[in-house]
Amino acid sequence: MRRSAFAAAVFLFIATAASSQTLDDLKSDGKNTDNILTYGMGYQQHRYSSANQINKTTIKRLVPVWNLSLDNNWGEQAQPLVYNGAMVVTNAKATVAIDVATGKQIWKHNLDWPPETPRVVCCGVSNKGAAILNGKVYRTTLDAHVLALDMKTGKELWKSKAAEWKDGYSMTVAPLIANGVLITGISGAEFGIRGFIDGWDPDTGKQLWRRYTIPARGEKGNETWPQNNNAWEVGGGSSWITGSYDPELDLTYWGIGNPAPWASQSRPGDNLYTSSVLALRPKTGEIVWHYQFTPGDAYDYDSNWELILSDIDVAGQRRKVLMQLNRNGFLYVIDRTNGQLTSAKAYEKMNWASHVDMATGRPVETEVAKKLRASEQVELWPSTTGGKNWPHAAYNPNTGLLYANTIHQARMFRHLETKPHVPGQRYMFVENLPIAKKPGEPHGHIDAIDPLTAEKKWRVPLTDFQIWSAMLATGGGLLFTGKTTGEFIALDADNGKQLWQFQTGSGINAMPVTFTHNGRQYVTVLSGLGGLYWNQQRERLKDIVPQGGSVWTFALLPE
Amino acid sequence: MTGKRIAALAFALAGAAGAAQGLESEGVTEERIRIGAEIYARNCSPCHGPRMQDAQGAFDLRKFPPDQKSRFVTSVTKGKNTMPPWGDLLKPADVDALWAYVMAGEKQ
Repeated sequence: MRRSAFAAAVFLFIATAASSQTLDDLKSDGKNTDNILTYGMGYQQHRYSSANQINKTTIKRLVPVWNLSLDNNWGEQAQPLVYNGAMVVTNAKATVAIDVATGKQIWKHNLDWPPETPRVVCCGVSNKGAAILNGKVYRTTLDAHVLALDMKTGKELWKSKAAEWKDGYSMTVAPLIANGVLITGISGAEFGIRGFIDGWDPDTGKQLWRRYTIPARGEKGNETWPQNNNAWEVGGGSSWITGSYDPELDLTYWGIGNPAPWASQSRPGDNLYTSSVLALRPKTGEIVWHYQFTPGDAYDYDSNWELILSDIDVAGQRRKVLMQLNRNGFLYVIDRTNGQLTSAKAYEKMNWASHVDMATGRPVETEVAKKLRASEQVELWPSTTGGKNWPHAAYNPNTGLLYANTIHQARMFRHLETKPHVPGQRYMFVENLPIAKKPGEPHGHIDAIDPLTAEKKWRVPLTDFQIWSAMLATGGGLLFTGKTTGEFIALDADNGKQLWQFQTGSGINAMPVTFTHNGRQYVTVLSGLGGLYWNQQRERLKDIVPQGGSVWTFALLPE
Repeated sequence: MTGKRIAALAFALAGAAGAAQGLESEGVTEERIRIGAEIYARNCSPCHGPRMQDAQGAFDLRKFPPDQKSRFVTSVTKGKNTMPPWGDLLKPADVDALWAYVMAGEKQ
């Protein structure tokens, strides 16, 4: 692109960015395919776009149109946002604005956190993405700050400290803006933090409220923690995946992470609100209802994963529900108006629970669970990594199916003797060893799943590596996701057949998106190996998949 | 780490005649091995593997050269590659204990 044309493009971006998007735009995100304004491509987190220019027939013409290096070896996990022809991408080191048509970098804002910070990051030095409103970009930092940037220039507008990283707190979560409040979560349950969700004033960075995920003494729910020790003060309960939001009910739903330490003997009780979902009022942080998936979690089955909102037919009645493929192996459907459990069916092999008692809403634990709680070593299905980890599922409201990358894995797991909490140091006390796979046994699957029965319409076994990329579903009948070995792939959503692939420069563990610009449909994904799975598989990957972050964008080659 | 295992490690250490002499001079004692095992289990095992097994992609500490203690100390205190620095958290005596554990422990 000639310099003058680039300058014109930048001017266009600046001019259009002036007409900033509003809260109403956020509410209707997903309807206008030109923009992606929220995490999950809509408050309901469907990761579905109606865009259908790229479809089963045209996909053979899908080609890369630009690539931008992110100069980062820590790994790329983020979901890009798109507004008026500008894309915003984050990782642990920087925030970048990019012209969507040309791939030119408009600005870059670099972060600087203490080199010791990764010590308190359990599972990958990363960032999941930004939020945008009224010309400002919001993001979190590894050393537990929240900051606002000018969307036109990348200039820092405010920076607020959420917590002290030296005490084990870190942030990788993408913020949510709901009813005018900027909402962020926190990481650190592996270091014995007391988790929380914060509400901030998007204009000033002033903290509006803090809702601890573990109630204090005297508050409802604290009775589920021991009353003779301080386990609740160091009890974990992170909130590291962005919540969803129902503007009509004015409720935001956040999955809450595991209790600390992982070894459960020092914290007898249900340990609310760990491994639960909280429905909060965004203006105040008030808890309207909760549901706990794994009471007294002894397995690291934290429940942060995406909470997908939809209105579906349940036994002939239209119900407002939220759905989650929980780490513990059950697929939950819950009435999002009141937290009532509607369905809980196993979607992956499990041996810690036999089923969920629909009368009590509690899982019925097996002999394996009893042995584990008695400090015996067990072969745990699913492993602590879960039947599914964070890589988000997509939901197509037209097919009514969830599409997810699931994990088929057990580990030899046991609790160790617990020791006193030391701020900023690991607080887990487990031994978690791998088990050799049986010949031919898959590492995981790509699944199309019925939410109410957990039955698979189809499943594709993964024989080399698990997939740690989110799923994207489109109106073109396609699914997009990325492989650990770097292939960006498109599948036929009807049967899971792979229709297309492109080899990117590193492994993919991020969140693909699609959008339209000047009538042309684009698909974007970040490539850049990193995160928990990379950490676990480095030995197998080091000679075949290089590191190095970049943004890849694809469109149809004109006929 | 159980007392039995420490005893076994100390025995193995003592049994490695010439080498043991050298390690003793580096301050590898049973007490240090025990303290090092605790520090390791809490802070190091998440990446380097429980009891130094399953190091995943991190350095397999069972293969650390016994004649390079200063390299070990530098890596732990200042960080290396994706390993962050630990110098502000672990005191020199803690790093010595870790060294003792890494040299003596879990070689099977």
